[in-house]
Amino acid sequence: MVSFPKERGCELSNRFRSIIAVVLAVAMLATFAALGGCTTSEEKADEGGEGAVKGGTLSQFIVEPFAITPTLAYESEGIYIVSAMFDSLVEYDPITSELQPAAAESWSPNEDASVWTFNLRQGAKFHNGREVKAEDFKYAWERMLDPAMASEISYHLLAVKGATEMLEGQATELEGVKALDDYTLEVTLAEPYPDFELVVGHPCLGPLPKEAVDADPKFDENLIGNGPFKMAEPWVHDQYVKLVRFDDYYGDEPYVDGLEFKIFKDAETAFLEFEAGNLDFTEVPSGRLADVTAKYGEAPDGYTSNPGEQVLVGPELGIYYANINNTKAPFDNPKVREAINLAINRQAISDALFDGSRKPADSISPEGILGYEAGMWPQSRYDVEAAKAALADAGYPDGEGFPTIKLLFNTGSYHDQVWQLVQADLKAIGIESELDSAEWAVYKDKLKKKEFDIARYGWVYDYPIMENALYALFYSESADNQSYYVSEEFDAQVLKARSTLDLQERLAGMREADKILGKDMPVAPIMFYSHFDLTSDRVNDFVYSPMNIPDYVHCWISESTE
Amino acid sequence: MADQDHRHKIDLEQVAEHVEEQVAYGLEVQGPVRPTRTLWRDTVRRLRKNKLAVAGLIWVSIVLVMAVTADLWVPPLLGDPIALDTTQVSARRLQPPSWEHPFGTDNLGRDVAARVVYGARVSLRVGVLAVSISVVIGLLMGAIAAFYGGLSDTIIMRLADVFFAFPYILFAIAMIALLGPSETNVFIAIGILGWPSIARVFRSSILSVKENEYVDAARALGASDPRILSRHILPNAVAPIIVYGTMSIGGAILSEAALSFLGMGVQPPQPSWGNMLAEARSMMVVAPWIMLWPGLAILTTVLAFVLMGDGLRDALDVKMKE
Amino acid sequence: MLKYVARRILQMIPVFFGVTVILFILRAPGVLPGDPIEMLTGDRVISEVTYNQLVQKHGLDQPLYVQYVTYMKNLFKGDLGLSYKKNRSVTEIFVEKYPYTLRLALAAILIEMIVGLSVGIISAVKRYSFWDVAVTLSTSILVSLPVFWLGMLMQVLFGIYFKRWGLPYLPISGMGNPPDLAHLIMPAITLASVSTAYVARIMRSQMIDVSQQDYIRTAEAKGLKGGAVVRKHALKNALIPVVTFIGIDLGAMLAGAILTETVFNWPGIGYEIYLAITARDWPIVTGGVVIVVIAYMIINLLVDVSYAFLDPRIRYGGEAA
Repeated sequence: MVSFPKERGCELSNRFRSIIAVVLAVAMLATFAALGGCTTSEEKADEGGEGAVKGGTLSQFIVEPFAITPTLAYESEGIYIVSAMFDSLVEYDPITSELQPAAAESWSPNEDASVWTFNLRQGAKFHNGREVKAEDFKYAWERMLDPAMASEISYHLLAVKGATEMLEGQATELEGVKALDDYTLEVTLAEPYPDFELVVGHPCLGPLPKEAVDADPKFDENLIGNGPFKMAEPWVHDQYVKLVRFDDYYGDEPYVDGLEFKIFKDAETAFLEFEAGNLDFTEVPSGRLADVTAKYGEAPDGYTSNPGEQVLVGPELGIYYANINNTKAPFDNPKVREAINLAINRQAISDALFDGSRKPADSISPEGILGYEAGMWPQSRYDVEAAKAALADAGYPDGEGFPTIKLLFNTGSYHDQVWQLVQADLKAIGIESELDSAEWAVYKDKLKKKEFDIARYGWVYDYPIMENALYALFYSESADNQSYYVSEEFDAQVLKARSTLDLQERLAGMREADKILGKDMPVAPIMFYSHFDLTSDRVNDFVYSPMNIPDYVHCWISESTE
Repeated sequence: MADQDHRHKIDLEQVAEHVEEQVAYGLEVQGPVRPTRTLWRDTVRRLRKNKLAVAGLIWVSIVLVMAVTADLWVPPLLGDPIALDTTQVSARRLQPPSWEHPFGTDNLGRDVAARVVYGARVSLRVGVLAVSISVVIGLLMGAIAAFYGGLSDTIIMRLADVFFAFPYILFAIAMIALLGPSETNVFIAIGILGWPSIARVFRSSILSVKENEYVDAARALGASDPRILSRHILPNAVAPIIVYGTMSIGGAILSEAALSFLGMGVQPPQPSWGNMLAEARSMMVVAPWIMLWPGLAILTTVLAFVLMGDGLRDALDVKMKE
Repeated sequence: MLKYVARRILQMIPVFFGVTVILFILRAPGVLPGDPIEMLTGDRVISEVTYNQLVQKHGLDQPLYVQYVTYMKNLFKGDLGLSYKKNRSVTEIFVEKYPYTLRLALAAILIEMIVGLSVGIISAVKRYSFWDVAVTLSTSILVSLPVFWLGMLMQVLFGIYFKRWGLPYLPISGMGNPPDLAHLIMPAITLASVSTAYVARIMRSQMIDVSQQDYIRTAEAKGLKGGAVVRKHALKNALIPVVTFIGIDLGAMLAGAILTETVFNWPGIGYEIYLAITARDWPIVTGGVVIVVIAYMIINLLVDVSYAFLDPRIRYGGEAA
């Protein structure tokens, strides 16, 4: 086990009483070096943020969230707020995604990674002043699994022993979680799962104060957490969520006085507000990157913005792909899927919609994920001649005899433009297609009922591990496997890799599994997601992680120049 | 009725007033006969004197001719409105207006002028077909209500009330949600939503005719209901229906644009003025020209129909005869 | 009069039940494509257990008629149910949004009255003058404008270019926090545009009609000056149809203004209902339509009743014409 100090602020490291276990350090350093030019948060802390000043409120664009409570938040909007208000047991480094202690000072698994022990920090407080105890985690997790809450993110905890029973209403307590004492949490899993420590880094798995939840029927809109910011007032729907600094926070004190999440209907409107000087952090509207970058300057590492370097385009852990219905002819033919993979001009899509900022996908696993290796899917590239040859091989020379297919996507956003481009690409190799734009409910229904040919699909990683996509999207029994790809070879390999204890071996095993997919091409990767955001010229040292979690603690706001 | 939702109802009120007066007056003067050739000739003469109406007619004709012949001249002159060459997208997208692309290019590098012309096809098709549906249903319902009266009248008019009680755009959106967004469903929805106005106009024309003794006389002579309807009543209701129909085409074009703007209408890659505006909205700052053209196209075309409608109303309005 | 009002209210009841029944039929499984529960989810597929939990939470496991009865019972208690998509009480959503819609509607009505009436009067009084022609043409243009386009044009010009040119500019979206007048200007003008044109036209034609009536001619013959005639007689009588129009228009605006709200990011109920329809969020759709229809019917009733006060010739008795 490698030890390493908590990165947030050196003054805290002397408080550490135990050696902190970190599994990922070595591999992460490599990835990290590859990214190049990044500053670690440690270095930043040393620099003291050069003239960093306290004060100011950072305002950020969000669309109206479904929920801002950790029990229910499933979209990024809600998670921004949750991450500012709650600390989970561990957290990911904002840039490298490596694990750091948070509410837990240290943790360790048993020999087969089926039982995990987390040692909580003493003296850390909730926003209501009470100390955070091990019971509070147990309570929060049980609340997420409570059938009455019908939480859609309960899947985070399914690895825990007894979670399924609780979800199904057969148990009222989460069997696998025990508070051995106020500061020791023991988690028993249903089966060995070496990646579990990354799961508990998810921002929604923080603690909840039971007494406050019981006392306030509107708790979920007026939250009490254990993170660096607390609510200034309850959520004002469709307008804003306001947070202020929590002065009793155990970690580094945030520079900014508060955060205001301003709610707009879409990025276009928000950007107009940004240009009017009313927002500090927003999305770049589709197609605007070139002129926005020219005006505001690009952040060198893609993740850290400063005045004059305000546009963030670093890769995210997420992918946009063409989901192919593997159960339906002619798509059950790997040659046809290969032809489709080769036909798509990924760069044109990125150019037209994201000014080239999104990287064309050359496999399903994005760069920056632990264990990443380039070129895992050799046929995921643009080559019209090869595509035509593959289609001819499959028995459809120049598309002759190929049925007219439907390209399904959900209405709204930029999807219709992506699929107009894909439609043109398919036409170029002789495949005629129609666009099928459906409302979300209809789109989801068609996927579920396998009533589609090729459909838009997007996947954003919950945890920075390859397994999170490979297993979820392609394992034959996984609910998220919506291409309905079935391969015994792949299933065996991914299961084997998943339970491998040694990190390097585990990653190697995952790469093997990925290679099997590269051979079968169950789907056609299109592009990796990347940030498409910018901050105002008064925001300094703002780090927006590849997991889409901003570091609100270490950024600061210059005195207004206006 | 907020937004453009109320167009139908307002037109109705204005038109209905005129209609009742003119039908009644026309009968008094001309008696129970079909409008004569002279009447039509007079109408044309009066219409010709109305410069705005003539301008409207000319513009509608130009748009119509351009739309109908688009396949012949648009692709060679301006480029294909739908097809894309993905290898050329980066080079061609978002160009400002130039000789080659008089209206500039859109985000995927297609010629905006070509798309505006093809958009006219959608608008005119939807406008004419939607109004035809409204007219057919409206005439039927209006005739049943007025001719048979009693319970059928009550039911039909209550039904019309329910239609009026719903906000127009919301109703249209709900119907599209039911049918699925497509061009066909858009004109069906707009068409169905338009019937109550026509029915009311037609019903009141019939009622005013029905009061007349000659209808009783015809009936006494053994004329059947359909015969009375077609020989004596329809001819007198033609003028208001024409006026109302012309104006409604403009309204239907606006409704189509609004629905497509909200993503509930014509779907890409098919260009329509409404969905072009939706796309242009995100490009409002970088490429404002994209937003200008479809908007101007809607404005001028709808205006042309409105002016034509106004002109026809004045021309057909017997009361206004010198 | 009271009898008339009572009868009108009674007439509303079948319409009200008709509307709610139709909405309930629409939400029955298989009528509309798409499963509302799926609207709750992101790209991730939810487990069957979670799915069933959500179905239960929203009472969708009950037969449709039971759902309807429960809904109607709750409705009379002022409870419109729980939104699928927003995880909030629908009543709460509308209580919160209605004032915003009202604010925009009243601002628009104010513009309609001030601008519409004065323009209408001027063009009637100065009939066939340059102004009259200009008004006729510009009202035709206004009614032919797609309102959302007008909104976008104003946003670009007054919001973006004015700022770029260093001129005083207007905010382009939202209501302001706290709500202020600057945010209201462009949305209110956009929403009022079409109706203002109609008010001006109706006012003009009414003034002209009325001025040709005998009693006005009499007044003129009696030696009253033009201005006095306009003030004393023409105006009052010409106002009746205008008031009717504005009343009906207000009723419609209370249903929200989807296009204006969309363009200006105005948090009103029109856009809310529109989003709910596309999201199959039935509790919001049903609740919204119920509220909108009631508001619309009440306004219409008020308009009809106000006739009686404005025009003494109208009396509502047993059988209304």
